[in-house]
Amino acid sequence: MNPRPVLALVAANLRRHARDRVGLFFMVVMPFVSIVFVGMAIGNGTGRLPVGVVAHSSDPVTAALLEELGRRPDLEITRMGSADDLRSGVRSGALAAGLVIPGDPVRLQLVVTRTNGSGLAARSAIDVAVGRVAAVQEATRAAVAAGATPAQAAEYVRQAQRESGRVAVTGGSAGAADPRGFAYTAPANLLLFTFINSMAVAAALVESRRLGMLQRALTAPVRRASVLLGEALSRFLVALAQAVLIVVVSALAFGVTWGDPLGVAAVVVVFALVATGAALLVGTLLNAPDQAPAIGPPLGVVLGMLGGCLWPREASGEVINAIGHLFPHAWGMDALLTLARPGTGLTAVLPQLAVLAGMAALLLGAALALFRRRALTAF
Amino acid sequence: MTAPEPVIAPDPASAPEPVIAPEPTSVPGHTSAPEPTPATPTPPTLSCRGLSKRYGDVHAVQDVGFDIAPGEAYGLLGPNGAGKTTTISMLVGLLRPDSGHVRVCGVDLAADPMRAKARIGYVPQEIALYPELTGRENLRFFGRLFGLPRRELAGRIDEVLDLVGLGGRADDRLKTYSGGMKRRINIGTALLHRPEVLILDEPTVGVDPQSRKAILDGVEHLVGEGMSLLYTSHYMEEVERVCDRVAIIDHGRIIAEGTRRELIALVGGADKVELSLEGDLETALAKLRAVEGVIEAAMTGATSIRLLTEGGRHLLPALITAVDGCATVTATQVIEPDLEATFLHLTGSTLRD
Repeated sequence: MNPRPVLALVAANLRRHARDRVGLFFMVVMPFVSIVFVGMAIGNGTGRLPVGVVAHSSDPVTAALLEELGRRPDLEITRMGSADDLRSGVRSGALAAGLVIPGDPVRLQLVVTRTNGSGLAARSAIDVAVGRVAAVQEATRAAVAAGATPAQAAEYVRQAQRESGRVAVTGGSAGAADPRGFAYTAPANLLLFTFINSMAVAAALVESRRLGMLQRALTAPVRRASVLLGEALSRFLVALAQAVLIVVVSALAFGVTWGDPLGVAAVVVVFALVATGAALLVGTLLNAPDQAPAIGPPLGVVLGMLGGCLWPREASGEVINAIGHLFPHAWGMDALLTLARPGTGLTAVLPQLAVLAGMAALLLGAALALFRRRALTAF
Repeated sequence: MTAPEPVIAPDPASAPEPVIAPEPTSVPGHTSAPEPTPATPTPPTLSCRGLSKRYGDVHAVQDVGFDIAPGEAYGLLGPNGAGKTTTISMLVGLLRPDSGHVRVCGVDLAADPMRAKARIGYVPQEIALYPELTGRENLRFFGRLFGLPRRELAGRIDEVLDLVGLGGRADDRLKTYSGGMKRRINIGTALLHRPEVLILDEPTVGVDPQSRKAILDGVEHLVGEGMSLLYTSHYMEEVERVCDRVAIIDHGRIIAEGTRRELIALVGGADKVELSLEGDLETALAKLRAVEGVIEAAMTGATSIRLLTEGGRHLLPALITAVDGCATVTATQVIEPDLEATFLHLTGSTLRD
């Protein structure tokens, strides 16, 4: 096939999209507005629990405890002046929990409200930290009892800690919960906006048909397949550009970790193909250019809701999530969230990729067959 | 807004040199081996035979056939819904005929659509251009579709822009153009690849008189330079002005075809001459009857005489001389039968039905 007519169509269509300021706003600005606002609403990415600490002495055990607490990734430690301040902080909710370390740090005092989930979470984090410090104390005492000097004992314990660090469990447990904050909203909005904006650019296709551009293109020495490919490729490139923009900007500006590049690229490409198929279908079925923005984006929003792109999936019931899996967005979310977990890769998302590829094939097949019949009649 | 609309074809002297002249060898991507031609040495630029198209029970086009010679301007005249656009759609390869065939410079359209289409410049009735793109960008798009080589494309676009008189507005978006300017780019688009036959489907519909004149001037200029033309319209005067030969199409069939004179002769060639005179009308009437070419003469009032003549316009000096001495001619009117009359005669309906 001669690539020139295909490229001519692609160049003309992309130039048209580039001149559409409203369209550009929805591609370049809106996704990030949505990522930021929804991301902040459902919790920021660090998710640290504020914990206040009052420490009365500076003995080694207290120092070790403070150091251990400060090292925990899930806690935000604030030193407080007095136990009263700490209590009022916990009461007001500014602190998830408080810890008072007395002069003789044998008995620690934990201040926490019982009814609060984050209080419980903070308590268990503090428990772990205290347990570790206690274990170090215990181990050091055992080493000294066995005849080591305190310095040697400390060295042994440090060595033991390093060994255990090496086998530390990374990643979550089997049924890891969905991430919060930008780590969730970035993939969600990638799917949402790639699909919605593909639907919106379907208007340009309806417009091309209405103007008779496609018919006229066929009076040139151009094969029907070239026109078909040119129109499909134009929509695909828009979908792909939208997805790539969100991946790159969210990684650079919000520190979102997307995971295995190969896996992410595969998911993005098949999802862009799904969006292309849907756009071609809409662009072929509708007859007035105004109908495309009126029907496409609302459809994209509904599918996004079902697929967990507008709010966390945990907030929807099982029924909604099951219905969501009839549509591409839910599978895209599954795949992208899986990839964002450490230690996963392309192979971990093969089932989702297969489902998405099937949907893309179905949509593109139907769209191209219909497009050929409805929009391009010539020989 | 600004200066008066420039004509579609500026003064030939100022036009860039190789504007329109068909150059079959310059169509890229297609070999220019000579066609296996039928008996005649140069095949008609466009030829169709037995074209028919049915939609259900409706015969949109039935057994339409004609030839357009190189450099000839051929008109397809008929009322709206007569089958003009359906015929054209089959000629440019947008619609597959139920029967019949189309040859462009001897190339069978159905057998080798790529080569045949490369020689046609088709201007659809509607303005099929991207409104968001500039005039130049629209031309570039179609230039690429027609496979113009990258090196030549920019220069050729400038030539066409000059030709349609829109060089100054080339980089404005199409949606800022007036209706007439859009029409001119619409036509320019079909000229980029130097087609051998230009097909214009009602190019002046909805155009202001000034742009209409510009388009007609431009079309005449192109034909004058040797391009073949198929021109459809339901405006009688346009077809009469532009076309060498005309086919009258009605209800999907060609019901008459020929030069303007030939068609008019179908309804009889007599012209009416109305004379207003002062003086001795009785004598004048007798003298006028004696003039050669006058078939009939009658007094239609105290100062007027109507004559039925052959070649009315050319007879006027003889008529005026004949009454010299007995009466003075104060006004004359020659009413020649026209295509409108022919059309009425052949179809029983007017064109603007």
